[in-house]
Amino acid sequence: MAISGIHLTCIGRGNFLLEPLRSLNIQDAGQLMQDIIALLQQGKGVQLYYDLNGLPVIDQVYYDWLDKLARICQTVNIKMICINMQPTAAFTLSSFLSRTPAFATALGVPD
Amino acid sequence: MQKKEAGEKMAALFGMKIGHISGQLEETGREFFCADKKLMDEDEVADLSAEFVNLIAGLLSCKDPHKRTSPQFHALEMFFSGLSQRMLMRGGNVEDVVRYAQQLQHSLISALELDSGIALTQSRSVLLYFAQVFDELIMAIFRTYLGEREKTLKAQEAELRETSTPITEIWDGVLTLPIIGTLDSSRTMLVMDALLNRIAKDHAKAVVMDLTGVKNIDSQVSHHLIQMVRAVQLMGSDAIITGIHPEIARALVSLNIDLTGVTTRASLSDGLKEAFSRMGIQVSHKAN
Repeated sequence: MAISGIHLTCIGRGNFLLEPLRSLNIQDAGQLMQDIIALLQQGKGVQLYYDLNGLPVIDQVYYDWLDKLARICQTVNIKMICINMQPTAAFTLSSFLSRTPAFATALGVPD
Repeated sequence: MQKKEAGEKMAALFGMKIGHISGQLEETGREFFCADKKLMDEDEVADLSAEFVNLIAGLLSCKDPHKRTSPQFHALEMFFSGLSQRMLMRGGNVEDVVRYAQQLQHSLISALELDSGIALTQSRSVLLYFAQVFDELIMAIFRTYLGEREKTLKAQEAELRETSTPITEIWDGVLTLPIIGTLDSSRTMLVMDALLNRIAKDHAKAVVMDLTGVKNIDSQVSHHLIQMVRAVQLMGSDAIITGIHPEIARALVSLNIDLTGVTTRASLSDGLKEAFSRMGIQVSHKAN
């Protein structure tokens, strides 16, 4: 099942890589999250790597989407890790972040 | 109408005896720039005088020699501005250029007087005209001087900022950032910018921020510091703060700064040990 607006690839050992596309519409976050979780469960997912490479800025709306997705992943025992966060995005996000986010962060997918 | 006639008269004088006037003005240039300070050679002074004579002749022969916005006047301003810049770059000072301009004013009037046979130094309107022109030109010299000083100060400030926050890759994937001196908001922002870009460039896994050299911290800066730690963590690196002075620790507590999730160690060496251990690196003495 393909999900519009994202590329979800199984990279082995229960790890999945999520690459958001330009067409990603987070307005309908509920349905989108449901579809992602369904695919992850189908593939026996353990960890979800969310690639933020092409995102120069993370605003409150996008952060809420990331936070919700991480929390819904937690409910089905999947760990969400945001990777490749850009310096500008880290700067803006750190300026309004009031609590520890539900997702973990890493420089990239571990070798 | 009278003003215009006076302008045409003087321009005509320049046209006729331009070589001779330029020669007399050269003496002034030699006196200021060649004698002791050796800021220019004789050929350069000759070119300078000839260029000045051409420019002043251009001003006097223009439609309105009194207009300060004319291209001819602007060209003269640019001439003095360029001269001021050149002299400052060669180690001269602004006083030399100003005194040269003042002396040039007297030499110019004398040269005109000598050539025309008219007692120009007795003419109030001629003296007033040249005084006004040269006052504006001296202002241009000062503007350039101040601009150059400002540029130098900014460059020094930037250099100082860069050298006071050196980000060093002390081990593969481990960055150290010793912060020395007073931390203010603008400096914290610059450090944060440089640090985040360096993490992205080097794919650094750990950053050790050493505050041993920081003696004071205020509320805003402590918030920026925590923001910096958060930003480093968001990029996927570990942030370790070391060398927190008792005064800084007290300030952080009294400011209600939440240090949950922030790793702190007493000294830079402890911070490095922590970074290495997180990366699975063990540094030990060589076995004999």
